[in-house]
Amino acid sequence: MRAWLWILLVVALGGLFFWGMQRNPKDLPSVLAKERRPAPDFALPVLPPYRAEWGETFRLSDHLGKRPIILNFWASWCYPACYEEAPVLEAAWRTYKERVLFLGVNTQDKEPEALKFIAQFGLTFPQLFDPRGRVGVDYGMYGVPETFFIDGEGRVLARHAGAIDQATLEKYLKEALP
Amino acid sequence: MRWVLFLALFFLPALGQEGPPPDLSPEVFRIARELRCPVCQGESAAESNSGVAVEMRRIIAEMLQEGKTEEEIKAFFVDRYGEWILYNPPRRGVTLWAWVLPAVALILLALGLFAYFRPKKVPKELLEEAERRLKEP
Repeated sequence: MRAWLWILLVVALGGLFFWGMQRNPKDLPSVLAKERRPAPDFALPVLPPYRAEWGETFRLSDHLGKRPIILNFWASWCYPACYEEAPVLEAAWRTYKERVLFLGVNTQDKEPEALKFIAQFGLTFPQLFDPRGRVGVDYGMYGVPETFFIDGEGRVLARHAGAIDQATLEKYLKEALP
Repeated sequence: MRWVLFLALFFLPALGQEGPPPDLSPEVFRIARELRCPVCQGESAAESNSGVAVEMRRIIAEMLQEGKTEEEIKAFFVDRYGEWILYNPPRRGVTLWAWVLPAVALILLALGLFAYFRPKKVPKELLEEAERRLKEP
């Protein structure tokens, strides 16, 4: 009887250990996406190349609830992930620009470097400047790059951490579009 | 004397590094120490120099200046990152086990040790037998 108890204990501990090993430590939950919360509002300065079209300051609430928004946090020092996803985002923006708003937030970066990055990839979707990274904290961001999908009602649908590829982007776009 | 100097040589630089840089109050670092740095592994928001940890300290300082309490500041970060951001798991729900289990394990260990080392009663026949053999020439 006692021997069985010991075996059971060892098996239980082994099972717990195995379960723990199966978990992905990079799988970080997003409170916003899990509870489908309304996207936190912010007002950020627009980077110079986009001011003619989008004005000096961009306020998110002016655009929420009109069409889905893809919010991408990036930095020029984030190599290679941000460099991998920039062409993917630009291509998708050119395809979906009538139906979805793509928004770049350059975070914890310096303006000259950010502008160099933008020029390198010829990014045409609006880019905002958040050197302190304050907006990232409001979104519960862990690190760049991170992409948030906001649906047509202004609620956070999903969060993707790390460089985003075309297939994943299309999958979320289909979810966000009616 | 030489030993004192020797020890001082080792520990004084460490003491010199204690305490936060002068621009933020120690209170900021005390709260930041209980919050996880989101981009680091095993570092609190007080120790890390990553951009997000620096920003977290700045937010804590601002909130303290606005007269927010420690609980309100922690709730602010939990609201955005979930309870994951807290270094100490909350004392309720599933994470209550993290607090209770060590105590339970200690009690079980104490009981086990007590049972193992408890003086055992020797049967009467054995005692008589031993005495009889001692008396034998």
